Amino acid sequence: MKTELRGNSNTSISLQNPSTLFSNPQSSLSGALNGCLGSLDGACIEKLLLHCASALEHNDGTLAQQVMWVLNNVASLVGDPNQRLTSWFLRALISRASKVCPTAMNFDGGSTIWRRNMPVTELAVYVDLIPWHRFGFCASNSAILKAIEGYSKVHILDFSITHCMQWPTLIDALAKRAEGAPSLRITVPSCRPPVPPFLNVSSEEVGLRLSNFAKFRDLPFEFNVIDHGPSSFTSRDQIMSKESSRDLYFESLLNHLTPSMLDLRDDEALVINCQNWLRYLSDEQRGSNVQDSSLRDAFLCTVKGFNPCIVVVVDEDSDLSAPSLSSRITACFNYLWIPFDALETFLLKDSSQRFEYESDIGHKIENIISFEGVQRIERLESGIKLSQRMRNAGFSSVSFCEDTVGEVRSLLEEHASGWGMKIEEDHMLVLTWKGHNSVFSTAWVRNASMQD
Amino acid sequence: MPVDLDNSSAASGETSVSGNQPPQKQTPSKSVAIAKKKRNLPGMPDPEAEVIALSPKTLLATNRFVCEICNKGFQRDQNLQLHRRGHNLPWKLRQRSSKEVKKRVYVCPEPTCVHHDPSRALGDLTGIKKHFCRKHGEKKWKCDKCSKKYAVQSDWKAHSKICGTREYKCDCGTLFSRRDSFITHRAFCDALAEESAKAQTQSPNPNPNSNPESDPKVQVDSPPPPAPQPPPPVAPDLGPGQCQAPPGLAQSTGMVSSPVLAIQSPELRDNPTQTIEEAPAPAPMLATVTAGFNGSCSSSTSSGSNGRGTSSVFASLFASSTASGSLQAPQTPAFTDLIHSLAHPNRPTDLAPSSSAEPISLCLSTNHGSSIFGTAGQERRQYAPPPQPAISATALLQKAAQMGAAATNASLLRGLGIVSSSSSSAQQDNMQWGHMQMEPENASLAAGLGLGLPCDGGSGLNEFMMGTPSIFGPKHATLDFLELGMSSGGNPSGGLSALITSIGGGLDVAAAAACFGGGEFSGKDMGRS
Repeated sequence: MKTELRGNSNTSISLQNPSTLFSNPQSSLSGALNGCLGSLDGACIEKLLLHCASALEHNDGTLAQQVMWVLNNVASLVGDPNQRLTSWFLRALISRASKVCPTAMNFDGGSTIWRRNMPVTELAVYVDLIPWHRFGFCASNSAILKAIEGYSKVHILDFSITHCMQWPTLIDALAKRAEGAPSLRITVPSCRPPVPPFLNVSSEEVGLRLSNFAKFRDLPFEFNVIDHGPSSFTSRDQIMSKESSRDLYFESLLNHLTPSMLDLRDDEALVINCQNWLRYLSDEQRGSNVQDSSLRDAFLCTVKGFNPCIVVVVDEDSDLSAPSLSSRITACFNYLWIPFDALETFLLKDSSQRFEYESDIGHKIENIISFEGVQRIERLESGIKLSQRMRNAGFSSVSFCEDTVGEVRSLLEEHASGWGMKIEEDHMLVLTWKGHNSVFSTAWVRNASMQD
Repeated sequence: MPVDLDNSSAASGETSVSGNQPPQKQTPSKSVAIAKKKRNLPGMPDPEAEVIALSPKTLLATNRFVCEICNKGFQRDQNLQLHRRGHNLPWKLRQRSSKEVKKRVYVCPEPTCVHHDPSRALGDLTGIKKHFCRKHGEKKWKCDKCSKKYAVQSDWKAHSKICGTREYKCDCGTLFSRRDSFITHRAFCDALAEESAKAQTQSPNPNPNSNPESDPKVQVDSPPPPAPQPPPPVAPDLGPGQCQAPPGLAQSTGMVSSPVLAIQSPELRDNPTQTIEEAPAPAPMLATVTAGFNGSCSSSTSSGSNGRGTSSVFASLFASSTASGSLQAPQTPAFTDLIHSLAHPNRPTDLAPSSSAEPISLCLSTNHGSSIFGTAGQERRQYAPPPQPAISATALLQKAAQMGAAATNASLLRGLGIVSSSSSSAQQDNMQWGHMQMEPENASLAAGLGLGLPCDGGSGLNEFMMGTPSIFGPKHATLDFLELGMSSGGNPSGGLSALITSIGGGLDVAAAAACFGGGEFSGKDMGRS
């Protein structure tokens, strides 16, 4: 580069005041583009994002806006995956920037701009667009089936964000069970983290449909919603309420997780299903004492106390809750390219399905990048960390049997060939895209030794 | 890197190499300045893409997915991608087109086709092949079971694998090739709900097709299936826990149309061959091209009809023409026109209220497709974005610097009607979000936010605005986004503009890029010219 510079420099560069050129250390957009040249590829974009974030953190408005301008020219919601991802990141940074502005802005944590409420059948298509969700459903259901062998009554506590999309296939499998169909109860909390995908019907309605289906399959079925929210929690309130409510309703949920409130019965096999959900429980210590564990740990402790037959935990395999913004940007950028890339392989650039799916990811990006404190509800931890947490909480992992592995493999065969699966330490099943970890699936039982 | 094309698959028999296909056009190795690559490759002596025109015969050859590194051909794209990983490219976001020795774009051999024009060439071989086959190819593959015909053999194969073998049909008429999708759908399908409701009122015959194994290919003799997936009744009480907007909100959301501010510049549309070089762009680069860029819930009329009239206004608003040299505050009358026209878009007609929505977006984009928050052209009418002028990193920096220079007197948002209420602002339009807004303000703010909402204002908009703060903050609308209210951040014009200026108007790309690639900005390097 330098030789090139010298070689060409006499042609068209007219230098004016070279001494002042680089005297301003703050305007380092050039530095930001250092090495990028014109091919603004992923590595470059990541650098720019980091520069922007750092500029915001140092209150360097000029640099921030300059970098944003550059990013803006890269970004495109209908471009290639790089560009699309960049546009969501840029949006999140701008959102963050708007909070840095000294004037009073009242942003609700997790408030969504795009309220796309889907009909249930559309959600069914949504979760099957890529195996992202179905992988977890398949692995978990298979593990559950195995764990409840011999039981004639099953009770599932379902903590997830996909509105029971997991259960029809389980209901179907239970109905066909060789040893005879058990009775099934599914219980869900009334509150759900305010993240997409959103349904245009209530949990009760979803339960109704599941009931219909179960009846259709001759499976005794019951659906319950834990009503744990204070009555003033209307949906609007939740949008506009203060930050602390976020933790409040999880706290109240925890308070309602008692055997009596859940109507736990001794002769039932209890299944705890956590799908893309644990991440919304705060992982920060609630107090200064060691005993004041985080909400997340408290939840695990509580459910362990129910002596469940099996606890299945599925989530995305990345650490996205570092305190440092830069770390989060890096981690996020180097992880969320995966679904964008996957969607690119089979959906057109102007596909509305693709856009909607990506915008839901954008929602997540915004929360991770542009919010802090309790408003930053996305506190994802990777499979390895989660496994450690489960072990600390007194669980041991259960391996997935051959049948499960086979089922998952045949599921993946029906999707694009970039999807794969591997088995990692601690019996963790991991969905991979082009070799990169996307979603992990684990199953746990309470430790045999009673050490609490 | 072997550029030898002969040993690769026949796919890449480019005319410039093999002279044995007479009837196609020359392969201009010239730069196609209109390459719709938004990111061009400044710093390379060979600026733009190479237009390849293949004959139909060549195009339809088999191994159509070619690794640009080693020219090995593959039948399937996924195989190529997995193969490419073996080249140890930094995997991060290395899409196929992002790192190549030479950029290539391909035109369709069919003269009447829109992609026959070099300016409409497609960026990859796969794309043009598939396009040609499906669009212009003879459909010589026919499924035996059903009568479907295919031009592409792999499509035919894929279909016949599925056709009739494992097919699950829901009562509502939807077909599924995968059982779990079928089961999931069936559980929630309205057809089932209706059937069970019916079953309760009739004599108990609850399971007309109780054996699930007979589901495949069973034509259920059920009552006429309802219209596919009628929207289930929206429960009036959505429940305390559901963080869902009340229907009114959803409706309002549904009416959010595409960012009307993303307006196509007539110049860009009409002159696709216009080149934006490093020289200051004559055309307004910031006007965006999204006339066809519509959310599925709004017709294209709103932006389309306003496109012409307002685009020039918008363009002048944001043009980084060298004449103005900076983002000046918009001329008032033009701005008023803009707001006015945006405030009264045609009412969107085809709304899908319950299931469609787009982000509220402020379109800051500078050229086609780069509307950050614009809705994707979900049902785009036109095929492809009109080709965009390539933008070099240097040009970007130039604009960024100009923007910085103008920061003190014009913020992007102010230009869009969102006014800072900080004391530094000259204008003091108070958009008090705490109060219900008057309709015109609503409209203008909405317009400013690129919402293009119909100006029935009213409760829908207010409710919507209050309930779902847009990214630029409904409250007090105080964000002067690009100013960021931080004058402490350093000299706005700073070293950056000086750098740009020093590089000069004629902007030698190589040198400019070299500056940035140089690493340390020791003055002496530059001084050594």
